Amino acid sequence: MQPISRGQQLRARTFRSMGTVVSLTMASNRYAQTAVDELESAVDVVESIFAHLDLTFSLYRTGSEASRLARGEIMLAYTSETMQELYAEASEWRLATDGAFTSERPDGILDLSGIVKAHAMREAAFSLRALGLTDWCLNAGGDVLVSGTPGPTAHEPWLAGIVDPLDRQALLGAFPLASKSALATSGSAERGEHIWAISGAAPEFAQVSVAASDIVTADVLAAAIVAGGTRTLDQAVEKWGADVLAVRRDGTLLATPEFRNAA
Amino acid sequence: MATALASAGILLAGWQSGAHIAETGTSTTTSLSSSASTGGSAASGSTGSSGSAASGSTTAATYDGASVQTRFGTVQVQVTIQDGKITEVTPLQLTDAERKSAQISSRAAPVLRSEVIQAQSANVQTIGGATVTSDAYLTSLQAALDAAHF
Repeated sequence: MQPISRGQQLRARTFRSMGTVVSLTMASNRYAQTAVDELESAVDVVESIFAHLDLTFSLYRTGSEASRLARGEIMLAYTSETMQELYAEASEWRLATDGAFTSERPDGILDLSGIVKAHAMREAAFSLRALGLTDWCLNAGGDVLVSGTPGPTAHEPWLAGIVDPLDRQALLGAFPLASKSALATSGSAERGEHIWAISGAAPEFAQVSVAASDIVTADVLAAAIVAGGTRTLDQAVEKWGADVLAVRRDGTLLATPEFRNAA
Repeated sequence: MATALASAGILLAGWQSGAHIAETGTSTTTSLSSSASTGGSAASGSTGSSGSAASGSTTAATYDGASVQTRFGTVQVQVTIQDGKITEVTPLQLTDAERKSAQISSRAAPVLRSEVIQAQSANVQTIGGATVTSDAYLTSLQAALDAAHF
């Protein structure tokens, strides 16, 4: 076993869950095999958190609690504690965003999948910290939550590129995850069924990225801004201090200062 | 008035970055760019130091910036310079979308792509974007990064 050179190496492992792919990236300057073992045991923990929540909340699994609830076979009051807590959290966000964020589909079915993935990331972060891991980057289908830096001795924060919605092989911009450790992006193009403009009109934004200090806030606000447009964007910035990079459908951009080049 | 000033600032910034893109263009563009920035610093308060602008030329000169095609439309401004100071910035061409978005939010301002923090995929550790499906992941930039980090 050779020690990794001083230029620290990033390692990533991935797994499929919730209809997308989740990646955990960690830096290490330890012995290669130790670093791999540490990463692989960490990703196992994260995967089990995602798998467990997916079993409960997936509407694609006919036997899941969410599916049984949707069919009216059980009442919310008799569901699991996690289901009730996430329902309550989603309802609070719906009120706080004046209805721009909602977990109710147009057909009336309760669909918490918009918040479950972010919740899974939040739970994963607790577990990674409990394992004593301080420097990692978790990416779940394009939503990003980080801790520390890309290496024990790195001084630069994790830097996330943001995909250009008009050319998915290109980057629109980047965001350094320093004081805000969570970055979530919602689009009206891909998986458009997740977001419905409140007015029923075509969404104003093609893509909205939100940086916040926690992943659920970032995720909820990104979805809310796609549905609620500029009014919700202003609310997100003023009320929650979020940083936002929004791409209008005509390709023009709106950005808060943290997304802009230092002058 | 404050709104007008703010949008003038945005226009100027947009125009300057546009001029930067068009660096390989005519020499007029380049010289305009430098006189605009000189004027800009003088306009920001140090009126006393504008003497270098010179020997008695008090006539105002008007310059048209080069029309720059940006990804978001054509951006061109007209700058009036008097005594080395920019006295007026007038938009000559601006897309409707930019006019509208200039008024929208004081905190989240309209920006040109060149004003957003840029990075190449080789310089980032992760990729944010709207949720990709497992299938779409295979051809995504994130998949390439994950493979590189295996």
